Amino acid sequence: MFRRRLAGALAAGMAAAALLTGCGGDDAADGPVTLKVLTWEPGGAEYWKQVKTSFEGSHPDIKLEMQSVPFDKYPEVQGPYITSQSGPDVMANNAGLELFDRRGAYVPLGDKAAEINKDLVTYSGACEGFDTSKTCYGVPFSYQGNVLYYNKAVLTAAGLNPEQPPATWDEFGAACEAVKKAGKTCLALGLSGTFPAYWDFPEIARNYLTEDDIRALLAGKLSWKDPKMVSVLGKLAEITTKGWANKNAPSITMLPDGADIFQRGDAAFAGTIISDAVNWEAFGKALGDDKLGVTRWPAIDPAAPLAGKFSGIEGAVYGVTQWSEKKQAGLEFISWLAGKENGELWVKYGKGQPLNKTVDKALLPSSPAFLKIQELVAQPTLHAGVMLSGPEADALARGWQQVTLGQLTVDRWADQMQQALERSPTKKQGK
Amino acid sequence: MTISTAPVSDPVATDAPPAPTRRRRPGHAREWWLGAVLVLPAVVLAVLFKLVPLVRGVVTSFESSSGFGGSEFAGADNYTRMFDDPMVLTSFRNALLVVATLPVWIVLPLILALLIHQRSPGWKFFRAVYFVPYTIAPIVVGIMFRQILAPDGPLNALLRFVGLQPLAIEWLNGRYSALFSLVAVALWSFFGLGVMTYLAGLATIPEETLEAAYLDGAGFFRRLWSVVVPMLRPTVAYWSVLCASGVLIWLFPLIYALTQGGPGDATMLPEYLVFLTTFQFLDRGYGSAIGIALFVFVAVLSIFSVRHMFTEGTRKPR
Repeated sequence: MFRRRLAGALAAGMAAAALLTGCGGDDAADGPVTLKVLTWEPGGAEYWKQVKTSFEGSHPDIKLEMQSVPFDKYPEVQGPYITSQSGPDVMANNAGLELFDRRGAYVPLGDKAAEINKDLVTYSGACEGFDTSKTCYGVPFSYQGNVLYYNKAVLTAAGLNPEQPPATWDEFGAACEAVKKAGKTCLALGLSGTFPAYWDFPEIARNYLTEDDIRALLAGKLSWKDPKMVSVLGKLAEITTKGWANKNAPSITMLPDGADIFQRGDAAFAGTIISDAVNWEAFGKALGDDKLGVTRWPAIDPAAPLAGKFSGIEGAVYGVTQWSEKKQAGLEFISWLAGKENGELWVKYGKGQPLNKTVDKALLPSSPAFLKIQELVAQPTLHAGVMLSGPEADALARGWQQVTLGQLTVDRWADQMQQALERSPTKKQGK
Repeated sequence: MTISTAPVSDPVATDAPPAPTRRRRPGHAREWWLGAVLVLPAVVLAVLFKLVPLVRGVVTSFESSSGFGGSEFAGADNYTRMFDDPMVLTSFRNALLVVATLPVWIVLPLILALLIHQRSPGWKFFRAVYFVPYTIAPIVVGIMFRQILAPDGPLNALLRFVGLQPLAIEWLNGRYSALFSLVAVALWSFFGLGVMTYLAGLATIPEETLEAAYLDGAGFFRRLWSVVVPMLRPTVAYWSVLCASGVLIWLFPLIYALTQGGPGDATMLPEYLVFLTTFQFLDRGYGSAIGIALFVFVAVLSIFSVRHMFTEGTRKPR
């Protein structure tokens, strides 16, 4: 009798638990929904604290639980989540192929994409093939891209004019020789990891490729043995083989090691990004806003159609995961990210370039470097770095390390890049 | 007197053991079931956490996957692909170079354990200190040694200070120096465990035996090779198996923090390549195939020592 009662009580308890958890459907009705967000915290911890406070303030039915992972460790944390189809409700990825690589993890936005897009400067990087008429998977709120920062004090000490940084490849070479004579490193560089692909490759590639070439690169249809691509690799190699960079570049990462060299005042130049980390704000704090200059990477062929353009791309893109049981709440959060309120938080606390056109211009920083970046971003082009697959980005970094150490020729590097392209599962998909 | 022709019972038969009865002892079945129940949790855990993932890995290695999308049967493609992939071949070549350092992994802790065991000056201090590196998380060790091995780091500063300027090289920049540095850091991190293992083995050797050898005039190395090593064979075999497999599967956090497999492919080992292929290149089938190849590689390396240990362990005492 007792056993029967116990079994009855257990069954009733289990049924109640099932109702409370599983059968509650999407977004539980009782109490706030907790959204788990995987992010590398672009813009810094303070900005994300503000995001949480502001969003939860205006959405009392949704709580945010942030899982913050350093940028260079992010793929290793995210990969297992995607492979096991479990984990956070909302995740971030860089716009471009990185997002396309992982598009199976995200819920397509459908008609919602057009609504999100209406106030944004650009949105294509979150959509298939950089085309907003195709499927879009997430929401960006920042603008990202590459520039060359320089330390005016180091240039002055080397006898160079800090108001006229080198504009061509030859001028850059001459400036490097002068900087080296003054006892400093010319270009702070770290070649370990994917940073060379994102930060340096697109700046050289702009001198040899057209936008159609860059789209072909995304589709896996541009061979690395093409003379244009071999030329790009050749110029990348020159940066280290001519001694313009720090000698330990092959064994260090750009973030934080390479950026540290520049922030310590030991290097004249550093090629990094305009938003998120290691941008004008971080460097301005380290060196002083008056000592920090910013310019476009030197042109190899000033007559090339994209030589005077800015390699721009939407920054981190946030999407709702396929396995999330709180998709509606996730969609609300990412839509809010693209809005004016977050755009202004991004400017104020993240010190980044906003994508939302309605952001109050009075909020924009007055730093000379920021204002110069505003000029540079006015002529954007496609970002070749975000078109590379994982194997290509890895082979680019390893090949550059080996070329620097004299273990590989540029032609052999091109062969390795082509092999990497051929074993890229995501680029096979596009064919 | 009569002579009986009736068959006499065979005296031998009376000495022979009684024929086995078919009936078990009353408690035998219960003991068997109790044993089975006690062993069952371990068997379930082993099947769930060892066998199932292994089988799943083998199945995945025969599949082709594109990114995070679905997968399809690919036959032996992933395995044949490995023979044409220079990165895979280099990673296994590097693995062989790492395996070549095994004698150091086995002998160095043995010598240090023996010095501690024979109460050399400061033995208590060293017994504690040797074990400390093992207690530091390998990822922290990697980060620590990135600074120590930097071109202008403390190691090179020390070498320059003591007049060994030519030895102050860029440790993590060269093809062989990077691999050598990685192995040296791993050895630093793990040798304490070896010392402890050997000390546990040494504790089983009777003091009198070592003293007798000492009184007979045997020096340190004579005692090591003629007394300690033969008596410590099971422990040496155990540590050898641990090292043979360990040098190929323990190094991941160190590679991750120290070199990321570079420069180029200089420190690329199969375990890191499995991770890179699966989670960064999103090629799960191929990553699993490399993982299974690594499993076979480690199994082949370990099998001799394991067999030896099995023979030793099952040998009946004379």
